[in-house]
Amino acid sequence: MSEKTNLISAGSAIASRNKRYVIWFYILNLVFAHFGAAAFSDQAHGILDHSLYADKLLHGFDLGVLVELLARPEFGALPAASHPAMMFAVLFFLASLIFMPGVLLGYASDHRIPREEFFRACGRNVWRFVRVFLFFTVVAGIIGGILFGAFNALATAADKTSHERLPFFTQLAGGLTMFLVLTVIRIWFDLAQTDVVLRDQTAVRKSIAAGFRAARRNLGRLLVSYVAIALVALAILVVGILLWHAIVPPSSVLGAFIVGEATLLLLLGTRFWQRATAVAFYVKGTNELIDEVQPIPAFVAP
Amino acid sequence: MRRCLSLLVCLVAVGVFAQNNPPGLAIPATTSAINSSTPLSQRVVAYNMDAKYDAKAHSLDATETLTYHNLTGQALDTFPFHLYLNAFQPTSTWMREGKREGTRGQDFEKWDKKSYGAEEIKGFEVVGQGDFTSQLQYIHPDDDNKDDRTVMQVHLLKPVPPDGYVQFKIKFHDQFPETLERTGWNRDFVLGGQWFPKVGVWWHGAWNCHQFHAYTEFFADFGVYDVKLTVPQFEVMGASGIEVSNVNNPDGTKTVAYHGDDIHDFAWTASPHYRIYDDTFQGSMGPVKLRIMLQPAHWSQAERQARITKQTMERFDKWYGPYPYKTLTVVDPDPGSQAFGMEYPTFITGGTTWWEPEGMHAGSQETIEHEFGHQYWYGMVATNEFEDAWMDEGINEYTQVKVMDSIFGPSASTLNLWGISAGEREETRVFYMGVADVDPMAKNGWQYADSNSYGGITYGKTAVVLLTLESVIGEDTMRRAMHTYFLRYRFTHPTKEDFLKTIEEVSGKDLRWYFNQAVYGSQVLDYEVMKLSSVPVDWYKEDLKEKKGETEYVDNVWIHRKGDFVMPIEVEIKFDNGDKVREQWDGQDRWVRYTYQKKAKIESIEVDPDHKINFDRNDFNNSQTAEAHGAPARKLANYWTCISQFCAQLLAWWLV
Repeated sequence: MSEKTNLISAGSAIASRNKRYVIWFYILNLVFAHFGAAAFSDQAHGILDHSLYADKLLHGFDLGVLVELLARPEFGALPAASHPAMMFAVLFFLASLIFMPGVLLGYASDHRIPREEFFRACGRNVWRFVRVFLFFTVVAGIIGGILFGAFNALATAADKTSHERLPFFTQLAGGLTMFLVLTVIRIWFDLAQTDVVLRDQTAVRKSIAAGFRAARRNLGRLLVSYVAIALVALAILVVGILLWHAIVPPSSVLGAFIVGEATLLLLLGTRFWQRATAVAFYVKGTNELIDEVQPIPAFVAP
Repeated sequence: MRRCLSLLVCLVAVGVFAQNNPPGLAIPATTSAINSSTPLSQRVVAYNMDAKYDAKAHSLDATETLTYHNLTGQALDTFPFHLYLNAFQPTSTWMREGKREGTRGQDFEKWDKKSYGAEEIKGFEVVGQGDFTSQLQYIHPDDDNKDDRTVMQVHLLKPVPPDGYVQFKIKFHDQFPETLERTGWNRDFVLGGQWFPKVGVWWHGAWNCHQFHAYTEFFADFGVYDVKLTVPQFEVMGASGIEVSNVNNPDGTKTVAYHGDDIHDFAWTASPHYRIYDDTFQGSMGPVKLRIMLQPAHWSQAERQARITKQTMERFDKWYGPYPYKTLTVVDPDPGSQAFGMEYPTFITGGTTWWEPEGMHAGSQETIEHEFGHQYWYGMVATNEFEDAWMDEGINEYTQVKVMDSIFGPSASTLNLWGISAGEREETRVFYMGVADVDPMAKNGWQYADSNSYGGITYGKTAVVLLTLESVIGEDTMRRAMHTYFLRYRFTHPTKEDFLKTIEEVSGKDLRWYFNQAVYGSQVLDYEVMKLSSVPVDWYKEDLKEKKGETEYVDNVWIHRKGDFVMPIEVEIKFDNGDKVREQWDGQDRWVRYTYQKKAKIESIEVDPDHKINFDRNDFNNSQTAEAHGAPARKLANYWTCISQFCAQLLAWWLV
């Protein structure tokens, strides 16, 4: 068994030992998405519930009828339905930012951490994670922006040739490169976040530096692990869509819900798998189990 | 004395006209480009052009000899000419209108001088009357834009008598624009459309020669075209008509000659990259040579493009009439150019992408079908596209629905991919719905409120109006009417009344009530089921227990005409015991109520239960069920929820 496989399987073991985190995050996202879709749902029910014409959407999926529905003045403007969904997506991101420290602490621990400890870790690290996030956006923004600009220029140049597929392959190569580079940055900051939590590091710049060093020294292993898990995620997505298409009858709302949600749950699981892999690497690399880390002191009122 | 005076007048007249009618002029009666031994049109013009294309400068120098046969019945001393390429200048009417709201998705923000187009007259001679180059005037019949140079006019010294001929010898220089719309260059590709000075049409007692507008198309007389094009030898060429010769010149160029009979325009294309797929369609007037000119990356779609072309031709031949030309060239223009989706006689442009899946019928297959349809509705039935845009685009959109539905099935004629489907009928309805009450169909093309209204009304509304007309006169009668219209008016310039009267004649019905609203008016058709109720007859009894099949109800149904378009409709009422009742309503009042006393409650009501009225703006309110059925909305909401969740997860994946 190679070291790379060990890292992936170690991450897998941690993630599957702590499935509850994935499930809680999934439920949170589902609830948010449900609220986000409420406006859309109300508008659709208002028009479709008593109309026989709606059958064209149930028994099949007639795109023309959907466009007609969205174009109805009584349906309202599409942004009115999509803005709540966007807002709840941002809310899920914020929730992820707040609760991730607890997850990392749980991943690093060899036992199930108590609820209080989970939330204490979240509370203690929230501002630190915000700072890490801000630093991440600056780094990812600059590097991503430069890469995007460069590949856009290349694609524009390719577009001036008479080889029609060249712009596409240029963009594809650009997209893959950006994916790899952003994955490297993500690895760096995943390690930094892990360092922040497990060291109870107040100076996040030190964790960012530590994450950078760790990522640089072990880039190959980590990148292969992350990319491999991302490929698993892609496979889950493709299989999910194919299953949805192949086995779910067009009129089965419940079937579509089950297949769709199962796919989303597994997709979310792959990200947690990546995080668990980073924690496994970190713990192995620093040889510091969470038990050896100073327990997080309870907040004492002055 | 009186007789002498008359004789003198006659002699003077004959003398004047004789001077104006150069000897030996005639429009050739050639038939080599058509499957007919005699000319098919009343030929008014003969264009003989010799052009040399400079591929580096995207420009062209040419001489044009135009012979015009005066069939107007009166002497003509003024001739207007279209100079379409002058539209691609910043101050032209075309550009002003295009800039106002964009055209083909462009806002011209990055439009610079190297992309401009121009058509410059270097010499203009009227045979027998001398050089008129310095006397040419630009005119602006449609607006007061003095900077528009898309129409020029020449006053002859001597008029051309009725049935006389006049010949113009014109030298001109074209600078092709970067393809903004239909014509021009893109990289090393060029499409020569509307590239030569073209004389206007004498129509209803006056010259009809409109400026080039952002949304309108073209109008010209039938005739004969002989065109020689000299291009670099590496170019692969295609053009209207038949190829007559192809000769390599010592200077690295080649001269390709084309000939066209009974056509009213001539377009050509050149690119070093085309790959040619040849095929043949056996039409009822004879074989038609198909030449499909594809981009190399699209070669895998060659058979698909040939198949849809032949399937379309087969249906047009069978339903409307024969395609008489010997050739049809289908061009797949350079990707990213704006030359796609355009029609010229015997020459159409499609357009595709290398990844286009077969189930996406709305892509190249729909485009090829549509542009081929224009060989009938524009090419042969040569309506005035400036003034009656709906008669080419709209009638063609209607036949597109019929043909595409016939090939791919009504529910999937636009799209049939990954469980998602869409039909042409819905597509045209959606096209029209947003602008239903903005403009009537019968309106000059450049006077529509905006590009959306022009597109939605001329294409979308016309199609749904004609599809709905099938419900009034029957599908077979409608097809017979279209067939009659085509055979009667091919190779002529019919008016809107010619079309409408043909339908009335074939159907044997007075359809003015329909045409006045649908064609000449902007009334909107929208019927709705306003409400329903089922109240027990014994509602007042305290011990009433409703029991299915036993309790008697007073059932009421209200149908409401929401729009101002009045049309008789059918209503179907279904009861919960399985009974069905169909009612006919003339739609004259704003609403109608139907009352029934039955041992059954109303289950559902539907206006237009056979779905014949495509013209109704809102199909969702055409029916109402007593019980709510939430499944369709739940299905959509589920999709929406899944997509939201996925997006949220993706955001969190990268940021946290």
